[in-house]
Amino acid sequence: METFSFETPAKQHVAQKAHVGVVGSGDLEILLEPSDNKKTIFNVRTASDGFQEIWKSVFTRFSDNNAIDAIITINDFGATPGVVSLRLTQALEVANQTTNVL
Amino acid sequence: MKTSFIELKGRERAKALLDQGTFKEILDPFDRVESPHLAPQGIVPESDDGMIIAKGKLDGQDVVVLSIEGAFQGGGIGEVCGSKIAGSLERALVDNKNGKKIIPIIVFDTGGVRLQEANYGLLIISEIQAAIVALKEYVPVIALIPGNVGCFGGMSITAALCSNIIMTETARFGLNGPEVIEQEAGIKEFNSHDRRLIWDTIGGATRFKSGMVDQLVEDDIDAFKNAIITAFSALNPLPHTMQIDRYLSLLDHIDPTARIGIDDLVKLLDGPAAENISPIEDQPSPGRGRTWFKALTNNAASISAYPSVLVADTEFNGKPTRFLAVVSNAANKFPRARHGEVGLLEGWALAKYVRQAITEDAGASVKRNIVAIIDVPSQAYGYIEELGGIPLSCAAAVDAYASARIGGHAVTGIIVGNAISGGFLSHGLQASRLIALDDPAINVQAMSKQSAARITKRTIAELDEATKKVPAMAYDIKSYNSLGPLDTLLEGINADTPDAANLETVKVALSEAIALSDNTVKQRLETKQAEKGRLFSRLVRTKIAEQWS
Repeated sequence: METFSFETPAKQHVAQKAHVGVVGSGDLEILLEPSDNKKTIFNVRTASDGFQEIWKSVFTRFSDNNAIDAIITINDFGATPGVVSLRLTQALEVANQTTNVL
Repeated sequence: MKTSFIELKGRERAKALLDQGTFKEILDPFDRVESPHLAPQGIVPESDDGMIIAKGKLDGQDVVVLSIEGAFQGGGIGEVCGSKIAGSLERALVDNKNGKKIIPIIVFDTGGVRLQEANYGLLIISEIQAAIVALKEYVPVIALIPGNVGCFGGMSITAALCSNIIMTETARFGLNGPEVIEQEAGIKEFNSHDRRLIWDTIGGATRFKSGMVDQLVEDDIDAFKNAIITAFSALNPLPHTMQIDRYLSLLDHIDPTARIGIDDLVKLLDGPAAENISPIEDQPSPGRGRTWFKALTNNAASISAYPSVLVADTEFNGKPTRFLAVVSNAANKFPRARHGEVGLLEGWALAKYVRQAITEDAGASVKRNIVAIIDVPSQAYGYIEELGGIPLSCAAAVDAYASARIGGHAVTGIIVGNAISGGFLSHGLQASRLIALDDPAINVQAMSKQSAARITKRTIAELDEATKKVPAMAYDIKSYNSLGPLDTLLEGINADTPDAANLETVKVALSEAIALSDNTVKQRLETKQAEKGRLFSRLVRTKIAEQWS
């Protein structure tokens, strides 16, 4: 297991917190919380060691399009970069929903 | 148009069952009450520990849905997620006692004990079971086994305790998983790669045929909701766990070597009672259960019709007391239960003799004490055990012990030998007080090392390494004691051949434990050791209480 953090500058506000995914095989869990730090902070715990550079590329790409002021906590169980991108987008979508759909 | 329920994750399942707009989660992911035991073992935790507590309404009725996330660690029950279930059920019990009707619905998707937190899982499953038995006096407790992981291990006993069990054809429901039976009993007993065999033994259709499951539904959200609404008011003429005579009669008929199928089993189950049953042959061998049964009952003769379950009533410390022990019988007709395991017969026999004490003492001013002498190597691993419904037979024993405790009998357990897995859940863990001998040969665990290594895909050396970081994974009684479940750990006792002084020491400690027994299993959270050993079990309960109403 490996733990690390990564930050990118940010200015966009998000409406609310969001939770997506599970810590299951090939998947990950994301907790997205609005913040007031002028940056996106990614806190990662992953079962697959040694892929920090790939994580950082995925985060940079996400932040280029969505510079959100938020803390994003990730609990990963071997998700591929594609799945990570997809889950990040999904989390952002939920965070920006104005009505809470049950 | 059908909408799949199985494909949904745990949280979505809870939402799908509840009336729109009524979903309220207790201890949600942002509360971040996660397992403290996984990261030290290099396993990434989940923010909700794979357990969703959702309060809300279903068809206008107040319910609490306890949905296990099968995708996280196979839905295994560890300290936090298990305590989320137990703590919620305990709150629901308080509500119902106060006239605020709330019906618990448990969505089972679990392999049983989370082996990385082993003894926590086993302990807390018994606390979940204690709460279910208490709740059943007030409301139905509804079990859903939709499928993906299915429902296994100690949690299969938990499901079998519920008032109404709803299952799909694509789910599996058994005490021992196919791989574990193969590991413990060999490939001839059970081939874990034979899919047909698995479905024909523990699949939903088989379970419905035998009556172990009440409703078989299609994989559709509305079908599940309708089945639950039916279960709200379904009156079970005789709960599964009370059908003791019916199942003991079935066991009289069964030839365990004949490899019968479900249709044969159903015929035997509903056929006439067997006549002229010859008494069961007994080939006893020495063992601690037998030794301590004799010592504590002053060599009383067993009144049990089953040689593998010893039962005697004696005066103990001046009070009427029923002692029970599960012991080896080399002539047991069930070959997989010849070494003192709790098998089909033993589970039902324990239920019979504990319930007998309850019935006989129903009107009495003094209810006899009940003492479980614990030396159980495990539950029985075998084909006929699974087909014959071993989760139910173990649940019958659990239900009987818990009912006795709730009904005013002091139920106490004394660990003199091994206390393992489903055997321990069925015989001992419903005790209000537990004491143990401090002896290096005693193992307390959820699974043998070999099986635990196979299931968690680790080597035995890796398991031993993890044990150093997480005492709940250890096998020795001292580590077990550090979790807090024992009232007393008695040092200096010769467990195999106790002398008079040893016996006296044990008798004094047992008398004290009996005197302290109440009708709950709460003491194990309140011992000195539990302050540290059950820190998260206590924390989870406190937080649930804060958020409940």
